[in-house]
Amino acid sequence: MTTLSHAPASSRPIPNPKKSLITKLNMGTGIVVGVIFCWGTYFAMKAGRDMTDSHNVNKVLLMSMFAWSIGFLIGIGAFIGPFRWLIGKDLTDEEQLYLAVDGQGWKRYFKYCTDHKVVGIQYLVGVMALLGVGGTMAMMIRTNLATPGSHFVTPVVYNSLVGLHGITMIVAMIIVATGPFGNYIMPIMIGAADMAFPRLNALSWWVLFTAVPVLCSAWFLGGIPTGWTAYAPLSDQAGPGMNAFVATIIIFAVSTAVAGMNITTTVVAMRAKGMKWNRVPIFVIGATISVALAIPAFPTFMVAMIQTGLDRTIATGFYDANVGGSGWLYANLFWIMGHPEVYVILIPGVAALMEIAPVFVRKPLFSYNAAIAGFAGIAGLSVLVWAHHMYMAGWMPSLNGPFMVTTEFISVPTGLLFLVLIGTLWRGRPWMKLPMLCVYAFIWNFLIGGITGIYLSDVPADNYLHGSMYVTAHFHYTLMGAALTGAIGGLAYWFPKMTGRMLNERGGYISFWFIQIGFNVLFLGMFIVGAEGQPRRVADYAHLYSHANLISTMGAYSVGIGMIILLWAIVHSWRSGKIAPMNPWGAKTLEWTVPYPVPLVNFDQPPVVTSDPYGYGRSAK
Amino acid sequence: MADHESELLAPTPGARVSTFLKRKDVSQTLLLWVFFTAVFVVLGLWAYPKWMPVVLSKQMQANEDIMIWFTVISAPIAGVVLSIAAKSFLNMHRGDTPPEDGVAIRTNGPVVIVWTATSVLFCIVAIVWGLVALNTESIAAATDAPKSLIVDVTGSQWVWSFYYPQQNIHTHTLNLPVNQPVTFNVMSADVNHSFWPVQLGVKIDANRLVTTVAHADPTATGPLDVKCAELCGLYHAYMETSGAVESPTDFNNWVSSIQATGGVQQ
Repeated sequence: MTTLSHAPASSRPIPNPKKSLITKLNMGTGIVVGVIFCWGTYFAMKAGRDMTDSHNVNKVLLMSMFAWSIGFLIGIGAFIGPFRWLIGKDLTDEEQLYLAVDGQGWKRYFKYCTDHKVVGIQYLVGVMALLGVGGTMAMMIRTNLATPGSHFVTPVVYNSLVGLHGITMIVAMIIVATGPFGNYIMPIMIGAADMAFPRLNALSWWVLFTAVPVLCSAWFLGGIPTGWTAYAPLSDQAGPGMNAFVATIIIFAVSTAVAGMNITTTVVAMRAKGMKWNRVPIFVIGATISVALAIPAFPTFMVAMIQTGLDRTIATGFYDANVGGSGWLYANLFWIMGHPEVYVILIPGVAALMEIAPVFVRKPLFSYNAAIAGFAGIAGLSVLVWAHHMYMAGWMPSLNGPFMVTTEFISVPTGLLFLVLIGTLWRGRPWMKLPMLCVYAFIWNFLIGGITGIYLSDVPADNYLHGSMYVTAHFHYTLMGAALTGAIGGLAYWFPKMTGRMLNERGGYISFWFIQIGFNVLFLGMFIVGAEGQPRRVADYAHLYSHANLISTMGAYSVGIGMIILLWAIVHSWRSGKIAPMNPWGAKTLEWTVPYPVPLVNFDQPPVVTSDPYGYGRSAK
Repeated sequence: MADHESELLAPTPGARVSTFLKRKDVSQTLLLWVFFTAVFVVLGLWAYPKWMPVVLSKQMQANEDIMIWFTVISAPIAGVVLSIAAKSFLNMHRGDTPPEDGVAIRTNGPVVIVWTATSVLFCIVAIVWGLVALNTESIAAATDAPKSLIVDVTGSQWVWSFYYPQQNIHTHTLNLPVNQPVTFNVMSADVNHSFWPVQLGVKIDANRLVTTVAHADPTATGPLDVKCAELCGLYHAYMETSGAVESPTDFNNWVSSIQATGGVQQ
């Protein structure tokens, strides 16, 4: 059993370092300085350059985008601390407390606030905004595909929708669980007062924030024609909008590196007394493995994009076969990131559901060690499978066999994740609340995603399926059907702790069924057209595929309606939902031992942990 | 003494299994397992052949076999997962307070071992099947090479064009004789494309300044759809053409008709 010595939160005086510049800076000043830097760079670089030369245009745009990001961070005060270090000083205690303290009301969400709970809420709102934008683009894609020969959008707009939907959703899904829950909940779960590096925590969020306007600018610069994979040489050929994609990925990679190091360090170094590794909640294990996997993965995407940027600005020709480069270099770099990234997204969602299942079934997590072996096995193998995305590239046919072997073996640790969940459900009587419903939806969706992944990892079958709608359906079953369902389950579960209110149950249930039924209609239809031979990323298709496409679009609208209802439920509950008790689910992890609002340093007395948090259940008869 | 007595009274493994199977929750789960397994078997045996295009080559047959039999083989495992989940779901507790605690099963060594071993076995079957199919394909490509029809395929934004060097004809449709192996030498004139003659079940990317090779063994006559499976810009969706696998006589007539017009298909 977990024991905790807990006293009421002490009320701290609100620091007011009036003379400090820090009190004057916020998101508004960041935007002003960022815009000045952006336009200043734009006009300064444009002067005297031949802007009919696409290389010059790319140089000016890329530098202006980076200038925006740096300017914003200066304007919000991110560099005041590091600047003080350069002159042998640091922020004063009063300033540091000002950055962290929760005495500033809603304004703290728009400041360079170092409190992990504020950062968690910032991530949550940011994720919801990104999902909203990406989801709207998905609705537009499906509307265009409702009937063959549709002209709802032009092919240019369609291709941009495909690419921007893809990258928006990938970014959103990478942070969907580790952002809100990894920042808000996880430090409390391990009994820490905050993250290991609170200023880096704020930095990771605000760096990510600066990437959003950059990505949005792609629309106004002609869009991107490449999909989110941004394959070369199509990306070399692409217009100015491609610069926005390049800059977004580079900025985002910085954010994930900072966040990944911070979360990993926090879990390794700041666990409560007595919280041995075999007592760490499984969500924490999953989130840590996920970000640890991201730390080596994303820099390769960053390198791939830096080289794309160099090709586009100074014609280096990394990917240009005309001057000795190779598109296969890009493809390798991209997928060395791309496949681990799938598990960076997936693992925290599964781990959240593994945290949820024992609480609602009132049984211990079945085989904690198998869960860890599953996560670790997936993470380890995931860095050895990237070229299964390139079976048909012609790059190295002799490696298709070895990559098929490593890829197929991922089904073994993946199977362990299923075992843990069904083992926990076995002989249980689940308390059917929304978080628990998500466990069942996950099992169904991930099973479909997993089995279809076995076909796709097989080279001969991939001969037929690669590049078809079947692939699109498969990865949506894993990323959306499994990982997003896990994140929604996590939100429903931790909503009381993050907002102090219960999530509206009726809204949650209705949205759940709209989303899950719609999702399966949408993507089962897509499996059919994929098996029939419809390529992915096409703006139009033959009449042969029309019925299944129409069904898919109807499913998509159902998902859209469900998401709107869920958004309403979240907003309504956050504003005026039922006040949540401290531990509404009767869970045993540490976050449920602190009140809402959670005190600044989480625990007045450091907790002492004496067992793992899964001590549910009675002896077997 | 007490230990000795309990040892005598302990049920045999067979009796324990028998007792286990007689439990109501277990028998219900078994029924659900039969149902879900059957669903997946039907999906494999009926749905995939129905969805997938007409088989015109050995490669397409191999693809379809994998889709069918992997689904059938995975059916019992999927059945285990879904039946336990479904049984648990049907046993739900509703209300505002949590149910009583369930049985505290922390782990079960034999179950973990059997589950892992089954996963590994399934995995090995999939790997061996795939490697055998891959190897068969590689050997066929090598041995068939001398008697293969050669087709040079060029992808360019957003058309496919074909050159038959042995016949010296340039075409924009892909016609092939049945029962003669064919080797596609594929290249791009600009960005990446992916050459996909759908009913042949083969696919290979077209890369700029690099030739990639695909091999097919057409075994039946019928119409052929050629598509691009790699996003290649504005009109990617429309980068497709048609063709046919036809009898040698029809193919020769088709070749002759093009040669009669200067070797370029009108």
